[in-house]
Amino acid sequence: MSIHSPPALACRDVTVRYGDVTALSDVSVAFEPGLIHAVVGQNGAGKTTFARVASGLVQPTNGAVEIAGQVIRTGHVRESRAAGVELVHQSFALPPSFTVAEAMEFGAPGRGGLYSRKGLAEKWRAHLAGLDIQVDFSKRIRDLPVETQQSIEIARALITDAKVLILDEPTAVLSPAGIEMLFARVRRLKQRGVTVILILHKIREVLGIADTITVLRGGRRVEGPVSAADISADRLATLIVGDAVKGQNPGDRDALVGNGGTHADVPSGHQRYASLAPALVLSAVSTVPDSEGAPLDKVSPSIRPGEIVGIAGVEGNGQKTLVRAIADLAGLSAGTIALGGEDITRKSLAARRAAGLRIIPFERNIEGLSLTSSLWENWSARELLQGPLLRLVNPARIRALCDGSLKRWGVHYHTSAQRAGSLSGGNAQKVILAREIDADAKLIIAAQPTRGLDIGATAFVWESLRAARDKGAAILLISSDLDELFDISDRVVVMLSGRVAGAFAAPYDIQSVGAAMTGAGAAATGAQR
Amino acid sequence: MNDVIIAILRSGTPLVYVTLAGVIAQRAGVWNLGLEGLMNIGACATILGIMLTQSYAAAILIAIAMCVIASVLLWFVIEKLKANPIIAGLGLTGLGIGGTALAVESIFGSQATVTAPFGAPKLGAAFGAYGVLSIFVAAMPFVVFALWLLLKRSRFGLQLSASGEHPFAARGVGIQPVRMRLIALSIGGILCAIGGAELATRSLQFFSPGKTSRRGFMAFAAGLFGGAHPIRATAAAFFFAIAGALGIRAQLMFGDKVPHDLLQALPYLATVFGVWLSGKLGGAKTAGSFGELKDQ
Amino acid sequence: MRDRAIAILRSLIFVAFSLILCAVVFQFAGYNAPQMLTAVVDGAFLRPGAVEQSLRWALPLFITAVGVGISFRAGFFNIGAQGQFYVGAIAAAFAAEALRGGPAFIVIPLIFLAGMTGGALWALWPGLLKLRSGTDEVIPALRGNFLAGLLLVYVTSGPLKDPSGSGQQVSSRPLDAAYRISNSLGLSPTIIGIAIVVGILMWVLVNRTSFGVLASLAGRNGTMVRWQGAKLWQLGLSSFVISGALAGLAGTIEFMGPNGRIASGFLPTHGFTAILIALVANLSVVGTAAVAIFFGGLASAALYLPIMAGLPAAAIDIINAAIALFITARTHVEKFLRLGRRSS
Repeated sequence: MSIHSPPALACRDVTVRYGDVTALSDVSVAFEPGLIHAVVGQNGAGKTTFARVASGLVQPTNGAVEIAGQVIRTGHVRESRAAGVELVHQSFALPPSFTVAEAMEFGAPGRGGLYSRKGLAEKWRAHLAGLDIQVDFSKRIRDLPVETQQSIEIARALITDAKVLILDEPTAVLSPAGIEMLFARVRRLKQRGVTVILILHKIREVLGIADTITVLRGGRRVEGPVSAADISADRLATLIVGDAVKGQNPGDRDALVGNGGTHADVPSGHQRYASLAPALVLSAVSTVPDSEGAPLDKVSPSIRPGEIVGIAGVEGNGQKTLVRAIADLAGLSAGTIALGGEDITRKSLAARRAAGLRIIPFERNIEGLSLTSSLWENWSARELLQGPLLRLVNPARIRALCDGSLKRWGVHYHTSAQRAGSLSGGNAQKVILAREIDADAKLIIAAQPTRGLDIGATAFVWESLRAARDKGAAILLISSDLDELFDISDRVVVMLSGRVAGAFAAPYDIQSVGAAMTGAGAAATGAQR
Repeated sequence: MNDVIIAILRSGTPLVYVTLAGVIAQRAGVWNLGLEGLMNIGACATILGIMLTQSYAAAILIAIAMCVIASVLLWFVIEKLKANPIIAGLGLTGLGIGGTALAVESIFGSQATVTAPFGAPKLGAAFGAYGVLSIFVAAMPFVVFALWLLLKRSRFGLQLSASGEHPFAARGVGIQPVRMRLIALSIGGILCAIGGAELATRSLQFFSPGKTSRRGFMAFAAGLFGGAHPIRATAAAFFFAIAGALGIRAQLMFGDKVPHDLLQALPYLATVFGVWLSGKLGGAKTAGSFGELKDQ
Repeated sequence: MRDRAIAILRSLIFVAFSLILCAVVFQFAGYNAPQMLTAVVDGAFLRPGAVEQSLRWALPLFITAVGVGISFRAGFFNIGAQGQFYVGAIAAAFAAEALRGGPAFIVIPLIFLAGMTGGALWALWPGLLKLRSGTDEVIPALRGNFLAGLLLVYVTSGPLKDPSGSGQQVSSRPLDAAYRISNSLGLSPTIIGIAIVVGILMWVLVNRTSFGVLASLAGRNGTMVRWQGAKLWQLGLSSFVISGALAGLAGTIEFMGPNGRIASGFLPTHGFTAILIALVANLSVVGTAAVAIFFGGLASAALYLPIMAGLPAAAIDIINAAIALFITARTHVEKFLRLGRRSS
């Protein structure tokens, strides 16, 4: 960390504009070599864009990038890699059908020659062993657990003897134990002299690993890089949030910035509705294994009206299958489902929705909205499906109703005829809320409802869910964000391998919940198969 | 027995070349329905080229040039203009068939059969009965093997597959999927030219409009059936060629007893069955539904 | 409204590209491009009787194209229109044979019913395949086209063969004059009326029913509609089958109207042309009418070119193919002309 050596990575006046949207605005920052740097900010602050500019994946509208003091050509991944910068993406960038050996080979720089299957595995075995990664080389990427996929991605990034390794939101899909292992690996890399830049958005994580902290907000650098020792969690929270959310209760605020510990006060309204029949009861439900997720194995959760139940767990442990089973999109091999006291096991999704089921799906843009269709078409889909298909409709009237609803929900838009894809993430989610949360909603499944949303939109979603709960709806909340779960849920249920692995009441302890997420007591190591 | 093998090699080889063109394109993420048109262009250009230059080598080069230009046009329309690959491919096929018909009519005044003075170089007497086969037939196994090495045992092959299957991952390591598709379609153009040339000049050397009679589509289906794997696709191509040869044999043997056009349907029924089967086994690799290029 | 106008402008720009490419191909092949293109316009609209001719071709094309558009909107790409067109005609011919002798006002509607059912059933097969095994519907539909062509050959040389036919073109027994809905010129109030009714009904279906809105959503994102509770077969498959029925209707009209019989290999490009029309018209019913007239003009010109101008009919195929090549382009060319707002 000599003051005479040039920064490992520096950006000068980087601006990125897409049409009328400015993702980054005049960002200048320099990262000293040999340290662990954190770039922090809420969703939409420009962190991913920054990472992509630094690694050459995105061409900035303006500005320069320097590696170890040398100006390099922006927008060319090959040159950035040659200069020693590598990026590990948030959602993994490995072709799912490739074997581990192939995944390493395809990204190797240079021409490369012909290989044999065996030779390829041998060639990369040493590299992975050097990083303490044990894996079956003949396995395909899609068959590996999420943590292993991430390790392979990191290994791929380190093929070229990278000097700067950028990790974009690496903790989003990991369990608490997984995060610890990742940080241990990052520290080992630092010892080898690699400069690591971590894109994070939770204060708790940042303070646990970073040497320096840089804060982005609204596409600008608002602070840093400052030494982590010189900044407090509170100041960080203020910098990240700006005045996006005023008058938030402290519990929410901490949850929004990932500064939470345990949560003592969880207001719950379900006492009012305790005498009503449970909103949702699953009895020993098992699902037929299919290609879309871990099958359920005799799960029996239930939810009462007026309560929010949070489902915690590492992605891929059956949470999505649970939602699909309730939504009649996964086949049951055993068990029954009852909604509001009525057995719906044999009923179609349309019938279940008519009975009060509402879904805010996992993938907003694929399962929740048709991006190239208009707002009013997206908004009216649910109601139109309740009636006969050949019913005559008046689009003008639908548009007027849609306008009314969207305005009530505070969506920012020009006209209900514009495409859903033209809205920002937060606004798009509001459209989904406007569609799904109505007076007849009995059970609302909210699957990763705040993923990718900025703080303002996240707070809005939480408010909306609480308001629905207070009116008597039951909410099933699935999230990989423990802060979110702990802040909002009345109860937390942990899923592991398609089973319920633990049930917790407030106040929540992150250690015990984390342990349940990875198998209580089992020490999960990076050497996991 | 020799006769049968020779017949199968003769009818299968053009199909194999074009199938390989389809396979490369598929791996890069493009469903190339222009194969039929390209094969036509290859066949017509070869015959016209022979008549023009009196040199087979020159004719082949002309055919290759035309097919590569057409392939690049398709690439441009799909990649830069973002057209739907299936419709654009069918458009290219139409241009190929219509353009060659137009060329023939323009030069010869009518849509007749055009015969060239000589055909492809043959293997020669040294190979005995097999001497009547052209050099392209002899080259075919090597080409298949070379392509297998390229696609399944080389870094380039992996990069090509990544471009088709997960373009974002490809870009993340510095590969340019758009350029990869250009390379894939260009190589495909060369292969279609050779396939067309072989079709036109293997025994008799002539071209008539529509000569390829849907072999291009059979090649495309063979590529799907083979799951974009060069060797499996080649096997599929031969399967279809054999079905076609059997159809002709059956025609000769059964004559009037079976409506001859239904026998003609044999290879096509085989492709329907084949594609259905490959769909069940998880066939069509890397291209999305309706052949759309995968987005980032 | 503005998006509509821009979409139409974009279509026109790409049609212009296509014509430029055609001009290049024509010159390269040794023909005089301007002369060729002028001859096409002459044949389509300018010479006497051309407009009627163009309409005659346009009306059946319009009907099939509307169906194709509905199917495309719902996400089921009906490449099999040609096959459905043929099977509709074949079914109609069989029905005409079976019902021969009956009163016209009963027989004619029944023949129509048979034709539409034939087309609908021929569309059911690839559609079910897509639903059941997830196989892409394109390849089975293309094969279905070829099989329908073979079926036509078989039928006209076998069961329905015209005993007095000459060796040249193989065709079926002619339809009784009582059942014909137009003379050989092909334009009659009946046919025009059918086209108008189809147009209105389909417009209402697409623009003023739940089915229309939901099918359009399903076509753009089937997953989202499934998560709302729709069954894919309700929307997509139905659209596909309606499309088949309309193609079959067009085939029936050709049989009962201008042709009076079905001949082996008649109108082999009807289906593909209808698909082009739907694409150029950007899947709107009203646009389809306008574009159908344009392509009807091309078909009329195709007959005129060799006879009157000594130019090869293949020129029209090339124009069609060039349009197909460019028409699905989605780049926003209009932004090069600085019009409109840039979207995504």
